[in-house]
Amino acid sequence: MTNQSQGVDFSLVLASSVHDMKNSIGMLVASLAQVIEEQPPENDLQAQHFNTLHYEASRINGELVQLLTIYRMQNNYLPFRLDQHYVLDVLEDQVARNHALIDNRHIALAVDCPESLAWYFDGDLVGSVVQNVIVNCCRYTRSRLLVKATEEEGMLCITVADDGVGYPATMLAAPSQQVKVAKVNAGTTHLGLYFAEQIAALHKQHNRHGYIKLTNGGPLGGGVFKIYLP
Amino acid sequence: MEEVSLRNLRFLVADDFGNFRSTVNAMLVKMGILNIELVPSGEALIAACEKRSFDVILSDYDLGAGRNGQRVLEELRHRNLISRRTLFVLVSGNAAKDVVLASYDWEPDDYLAKPITGRLLEQRLLRLVALREALMPVYQALEKPDRVMAVALLTDLSIANNRHSLAAQKILGDLFLEQGDLDKAERLYGMALQVRPLDWARLGLAKIKQLRGEMEVAAQWMDQILTDNPLYLPAYDALANNLQERGQPKSEQATVARALEVSPMSILRQKRLAAVAEANGDIPTALKAWRHALKLGEYSCHAKAGDALQFARLAVYALETGKVVESQVSDEVIKALALAGDRFDLGPVQELQTAFLRGRLSALDGKLDAAQAQIDKAEARVLNDGIRDVDVDIERVRARQALGKGESADRLLQELLKNYAYDQEALEKLDHLLPEPVSESNREWVAAVNREGIDLYNQAQYDAALDCFERARKLFPVHVGIQLNMVQALIGKKRLSGLPPEEEKQLRDALKLIGSLVESDHSQYARYKRLRQMAYANASS
Repeated sequence: MTNQSQGVDFSLVLASSVHDMKNSIGMLVASLAQVIEEQPPENDLQAQHFNTLHYEASRINGELVQLLTIYRMQNNYLPFRLDQHYVLDVLEDQVARNHALIDNRHIALAVDCPESLAWYFDGDLVGSVVQNVIVNCCRYTRSRLLVKATEEEGMLCITVADDGVGYPATMLAAPSQQVKVAKVNAGTTHLGLYFAEQIAALHKQHNRHGYIKLTNGGPLGGGVFKIYLP
Repeated sequence: MEEVSLRNLRFLVADDFGNFRSTVNAMLVKMGILNIELVPSGEALIAACEKRSFDVILSDYDLGAGRNGQRVLEELRHRNLISRRTLFVLVSGNAAKDVVLASYDWEPDDYLAKPITGRLLEQRLLRLVALREALMPVYQALEKPDRVMAVALLTDLSIANNRHSLAAQKILGDLFLEQGDLDKAERLYGMALQVRPLDWARLGLAKIKQLRGEMEVAAQWMDQILTDNPLYLPAYDALANNLQERGQPKSEQATVARALEVSPMSILRQKRLAAVAEANGDIPTALKAWRHALKLGEYSCHAKAGDALQFARLAVYALETGKVVESQVSDEVIKALALAGDRFDLGPVQELQTAFLRGRLSALDGKLDAAQAQIDKAEARVLNDGIRDVDVDIERVRARQALGKGESADRLLQELLKNYAYDQEALEKLDHLLPEPVSESNREWVAAVNREGIDLYNQAQYDAALDCFERARKLFPVHVGIQLNMVQALIGKKRLSGLPPEEEKQLRDALKLIGSLVESDHSQYARYKRLRQMAYANASS
């Protein structure tokens, strides 16, 4: 018999505590939004503090969701549910989830998507990819954000563009490689991009599968994130 | 999006956290909604729906002790406390749908993952209400019921190519299938599938195949849907039904078990697994499924007093026949029976069944005096109250057997056969106490399975023949004819290819059993002797 304590699977323990943390952060973000709504900031400095609190909490929430999803993906627990969705619904949900963050930062966000555009994909997973990109852009953009969906050569293309300084050159080259070479103390692991790429690749149809693309410039002159789904 | 208003709708919000209730309340008030009721538990939610009707119910999945949001929804729909007009939105703290999916038999109108914001909530509500308003004339037509009108309205919505078309197509497909309008349903699903491989449309087509009698093709298609999307629960149910109709109980059991792996919290599937596993003679699986069903039944409207009795009957039988040896099973049965007695109003029939089962448990425990007293008391009640019920009578026979009074049990059984001579349903139940069936249906069944097995035997397909006899033997374990057929098939196989040790043992056991059942005046005695000689001749050669 093996010793019980040696038998504990660290990744399993981690996953279950991540799950708890995520729920706590969820409560924290909701309470924070309520506090800000009930007691609006009295001056710019306060507003800035609220922004930081809100942004960092949202970011932790997003990271935890990603960690959990990747854990489930690797252990085949991930419920991947394809269904027909109106793309606009999924995009508007992500904006609505983060409207406090967007408003507090005075970001002008536009959603550009035909109302009748429907697609066959996992709305929860793709929604969380878009949400993460939006949260991230809120930090790096100057003043504007564009969330757009179009059909391009039989693929659904969702674009999140900003007017910030754009993505660094290393990320443009090979977004997913970043996870493998990332140094933990470098401040970011690019887990979000890895996550996005995995989610995109889960979507397959007729020998085509989804992918992501990063460019700079684009409609607002800043970073452009695109996810393509067959 | 159409102009819809939330202002005049009646809302019910349920969460065990006061904090969350007041947050949602504040969000709704901000939207201008005036009619809001807040409740802290699933029980309070159900009580509110018993008194009033609501347009929208927002319920958390986790409602503390008692029913969760999913069980509440199940009960509301099952008891018709809400109609299709009421929107039920399930809010979950766990990432999206996975927890919710793990239990669904009734789908809520929408899911919301926490954290939710006011804007998100409003957006979702507006969408749901717009859809509800678009479908309202359809619901009214269906309630009337005016199906022709419903079909006409749904057809218009389906081809309008707007954001309500998909929902309309789904309902229309179900309606066509219900009405047996297979050609129309096929066209509709075909149209939907031109765009995307939608699970519901694929399953619809598979069901049409089945309704047209192409059972095997239907099963293949259902299998394929499940390969592509193992989470699509309705396909498991459809496949299990298909296999049941085709008389493949082993595959049926496997399919129900797979559905339960995906969604272990479905009480109805647990009960189905228990029933089909018992029929397959897989007692450990049946007992396990009953345990799950009883546990889930604690907060389910699908729980019945009979569930505990069925579990108890099977468990006691398993203990008596040595198929289960764990002694704690006894305690488990006592607890389950006590719980059922507390929770349900047991009628005299169920009370008596419980009493006999308790007596059998005492006998198992070696407390023969106590068992005798319990059983005598129950017997007295049967006679005094003039209870005539075949399930109770079966318990009486089993109780006598448990006390070691085989002759008295046989006498009672003979008496019962006379009493129920014109009641085929009762005879079917009594069959299981007899070496050979007396009911017409079971006689025919045994005869048919036997014939099939003999055909296979004549073609030298011994394994297939053995499977056949095995199926019959499961139900009628001491049926001499079946046992002899089995022996003959084993000997055939032995001559052809030799027997593995476990089948060699099976052959010896069967001969021993038959030896204990037939005397020299038995009609099958000569055949038994001949087969025994053949078996032993083989062994020595």
